[in-house]
Amino acid sequence: MKRLDPILLKLFLYGIPLVAGFALFSHWYNTGGLTTGSAVAGFLNGLAGLVVATWMTLAIYLSFRLLVSGPFRDQVLARITFIRERDEREAILTGKATKKVFLTSLAFLILLFCLSSFQVSVYRVPLEHAVDGKTGVISLGLGFSFLEQVQQDHPAALTKEKDIFTYQGLPLSSAAIVLLLIAWQIVSYNFTMRRLMR
Amino acid sequence: MAKSPPKITIVNRLHVLRAEKRLTQEQLAQEIGVTRATIVAIEKGGYNPSLELAFRIARYFQTDINAIFSVEEEETK
Repeated sequence: MKRLDPILLKLFLYGIPLVAGFALFSHWYNTGGLTTGSAVAGFLNGLAGLVVATWMTLAIYLSFRLLVSGPFRDQVLARITFIRERDEREAILTGKATKKVFLTSLAFLILLFCLSSFQVSVYRVPLEHAVDGKTGVISLGLGFSFLEQVQQDHPAALTKEKDIFTYQGLPLSSAAIVLLLIAWQIVSYNFTMRRLMR
Repeated sequence: MAKSPPKITIVNRLHVLRAEKRLTQEQLAQEIGVTRATIVAIEKGGYNPSLELAFRIARYFQTDINAIFSVEEEETK
């Protein structure tokens, strides 16, 4: 496995342009940009499916190896994050930068959790639902669901006459949030390390 | 209340010893197995080396560790 991993990693990285090309071709083919009757185009579309499937399998395998193999993780992630530990001082600086990134990421996660679970709604209700003659309502809530796309009760929706402002969690997709966190970790680590190295 | 320990500053004569041996920072770094940036940081007082590295430096200059590193105590208010 130790010998196979670097080969698979190179295949994965050098395969990115090929996969992007095939994905574009496949999209073009399936949206009617090409004459679907052509045998060559049909063969290439089939090949595109095979290449993308192989690349996706490689991506899952390599992600799993990153989790379980220490040397592989050091080799790959150290390169991505530009970690250099050439002597004891750099090892200390790496530790300081890592601590800072860990704590800021944790703070960032807590903020994201708050933003995704808080619900705020400002609206007006019909006169028959008014309390003490007041029709303006501010509704605050906490929403948490373990799984995506679970229908939640919105009792306010039944009595709303005019919606003024509604906030029901982050509008970002989970994939976008994960990507944002990965980018945050790499950028903040590099920024901290550069500042400490001065 | 516990008395706060006196603040100490570690000073060093590394640049003097290096100059006496007519060594560049890069050469010294290679001899003791660290980066030039670490030598710069030690000489400027921005980084205090570990005991291991301090002994390695002393051994390289064939001297006692106290001849390179010493402690200056600061008055605490």
